[in-house]
Amino acid sequence: MSLSIQQLLENKGITPKSEHLELLKARWEGMQSLRSNLEGIAIDDADIAIRSIPGGDHIDN
Amino acid sequence: MTTDLHLKSVEELAPLLETKKLSPVELTKAILDFAEESQPKINSYMAFYREEALAQAKVVETEIWNGQYRGMYHGIPMALKDNLYFKDKITTMSSKIHKDFVSGYDATVVEKLRNAGVIFTGKLSMHEYAWGITNNNPHYGLVRNPWDLDKIPGGSSGGSGAAVAAGASVASLGTDTAGSIRIPSSACGIVGLKPTHGRVSKYGCYPLAWSLDHIGPMTKTVKDAAGLLEIISGFDHRDPTCTDVPTENYVQQISGSVKDLVIGINEEYFFNHVDSDVEKAVRESIQSLVDQGAKVEVVRIPSLQYAEWAELVTSLSEASAIHHSDLQKRPQDFGDDIRLLFELGELPSAVDYLQAQQVRRQIKQEFTQIFNQVDVLITPTLPVVASTIGDDFAYLNGEKVDLIDNIIRFTGPSNLTGLPALSVPCGFKGNLPVGLQIIGPAFKEGHILNVGYAIEQTNPTKNRKPNIFTNS
Repeated sequence: MSLSIQQLLENKGITPKSEHLELLKARWEGMQSLRSNLEGIAIDDADIAIRSIPGGDHIDN
Repeated sequence: MTTDLHLKSVEELAPLLETKKLSPVELTKAILDFAEESQPKINSYMAFYREEALAQAKVVETEIWNGQYRGMYHGIPMALKDNLYFKDKITTMSSKIHKDFVSGYDATVVEKLRNAGVIFTGKLSMHEYAWGITNNNPHYGLVRNPWDLDKIPGGSSGGSGAAVAAGASVASLGTDTAGSIRIPSSACGIVGLKPTHGRVSKYGCYPLAWSLDHIGPMTKTVKDAAGLLEIISGFDHRDPTCTDVPTENYVQQISGSVKDLVIGINEEYFFNHVDSDVEKAVRESIQSLVDQGAKVEVVRIPSLQYAEWAELVTSLSEASAIHHSDLQKRPQDFGDDIRLLFELGELPSAVDYLQAQQVRRQIKQEFTQIFNQVDVLITPTLPVVASTIGDDFAYLNGEKVDLIDNIIRFTGPSNLTGLPALSVPCGFKGNLPVGLQIIGPAFKEGHILNVGYAIEQTNPTKNRKPNIFTNS
């Protein structure tokens, strides 16, 4: 059973404004529709663009 | 000499300062006077630094008059966006939560501008925490567009856009996560450059979304932007996202020649659903480049269809991580609009975020391939002109469309890819400016500035100036 947006946020200690709930739902659904057929493109070949640099972010010379 | 100093660009003022025809004190006073006079009309400033600026101007005057001229920005008065740290000064991010925050150090860009002899006149307003496009701020009031006081200046660097356009700051810096330099630049009729990600250090800039944030110039002319980028660019080990690429002389790279330039046009994404007057101004500018010897090639970038989703998931997730604790403890202290966005940013899963990064990599690869075919891409900066204050919609060819979705459609992809993008004024729709965007390969800022300069020279409306005391 999927949780409502309100439950999801409350589980994280966040209490949304009651007047935000409908807007949040609409915007979340809007984002999901933008995602559309993501599974249809070849993102498996695209690396996840997050770098881990051993020894620190930059090595000072 | 005091007439209309506030309307002059850095490239006009610098020779006057260098040759002692204009005193930095006189210039600073003129800018501050105008800024304070314009404040009730456009509300672009968060804080004025009058006494310190005039004291700083006297020091600078002595330096220049003793023959120690340091370059184009020596003696230029500027105010900066209020998310850039000034040592011992309040930096509010135009928020209630940080209203008393005092930084113990200068941001790297501030330090570099100080060293270049810039005089700081104050801090400029922004959309709260740089997360919005109207600059309608619930804590400090809204900023108005100098071309039409009933219209938004764009955001989030709306104070910078309005101040530079009106003449309350000779130039400025903005920050850009989904278009926050280019949106107000286009809406206010000025030049805005988002450099390559990693070109300018963000140390001492309060973050919105770390992997998408950039700092860049907002100026009256392209050469002013080039000169400013020369000062602020360069590697800084204190910013982990900064890249070690040598700084270049961008002003020298501007010749205005576009002979044999190959311009890429992506019709499917960047010319889809655009206001007809905006489209006309952009296409006429492209034609002016063709008339000067450039060529046009139509290109396809299929994965751009996922750009808006990837941009939203990335920016919302990263921004919400930064504000998570305050959202739990003091949600009532956020403005309603950004509180909603931070709440929304709690919803994507880790899988969503990582898939967004994969999409991002795919888009980057496609752009890299495109730049093997063409030198630059040209697009409208925004599909619409500035909308009316208070509206959450814009008019696109008479149709009401969602404001946020439509404002960031063309600017967001360059934040995802990190590629440099320049907005240059190219015309007007009625009394509201239209901007054109030039996107180039990574670290080729000189190249896009040169194309921007060519457009600037042929722009038939380039001499139009706003007058806030007669506009609406």
